[in-house]
Amino acid sequence: MRYLCLVYLVENEMATMSESESDACTDESLAYDEALRRSGQLILAHALERVETATTVRVRQGKLFTTDGPFAETKEQLGGFILIEARDLNDAIQAASRIPLARRGSIEVRPIKELKPSVRRTR
Amino acid sequence: MKFMFVIYHDEQTLDALPAGEMQTLVDSALDYTEEIRRSGHYVVSNALQRARTARILRVRGSKVSTTDGPFAETKEQLGGFFLVEAKDMDEACLLAARFPPARLGTIEVRPVRELQHS
Repeated sequence: MRYLCLVYLVENEMATMSESESDACTDESLAYDEALRRSGQLILAHALERVETATTVRVRQGKLFTTDGPFAETKEQLGGFILIEARDLNDAIQAASRIPLARRGSIEVRPIKELKPSVRRTR
Repeated sequence: MKFMFVIYHDEQTLDALPAGEMQTLVDSALDYTEEIRRSGHYVVSNALQRARTARILRVRGSKVSTTDGPFAETKEQLGGFFLVEAKDMDEACLLAARFPPARLGTIEVRPVRELQHS
């Protein structure tokens, strides 16, 4: 089963890290992605740019509305994600607990849902 | 450039849709996925199970703590995501606007940051 691990961090804390601390943090994160890849659990992982780079999009009555900034103002901000393959939720939590940034922020682990096309489409 | 679309919708609104309408929405989302795959924008996407299935995990010292529920309690809930390839933010937003459920919910579009080994 696939699980999405959403990584939330206090961006301002990350921004105040020294360069060597920040480099070590990045190296550690990339090393863990690599470990997940080798164990066959990694589907995809990416860091995101800071929340202030976000644009929020809505379409109402055919009209496009965009606003600057993220959808939700939160104490910790969404900073990246890791999409993994795991046997079950416990296995996913095990993998998520080894994400280096779990020691600094919070990880939301959520099972993915397979969307099924209607019979009309599968014919 | 890669962009993430973080899709939010009100789960209760979706639950209240008649089954046929819900399936039409799912079909239109799948059609959209196919369309942006053909146009070369698609990288990966997934719908997520309900927010109540989420677990939050923190590691402090050597202790792992987990709690139920999504990270953020919001009026609309995180329901899925896309990773796409687009020229710039403008193209990414136009692409996001064509995702049929954008008419019901909200999409946060965010550039991906490439991490480099030191």
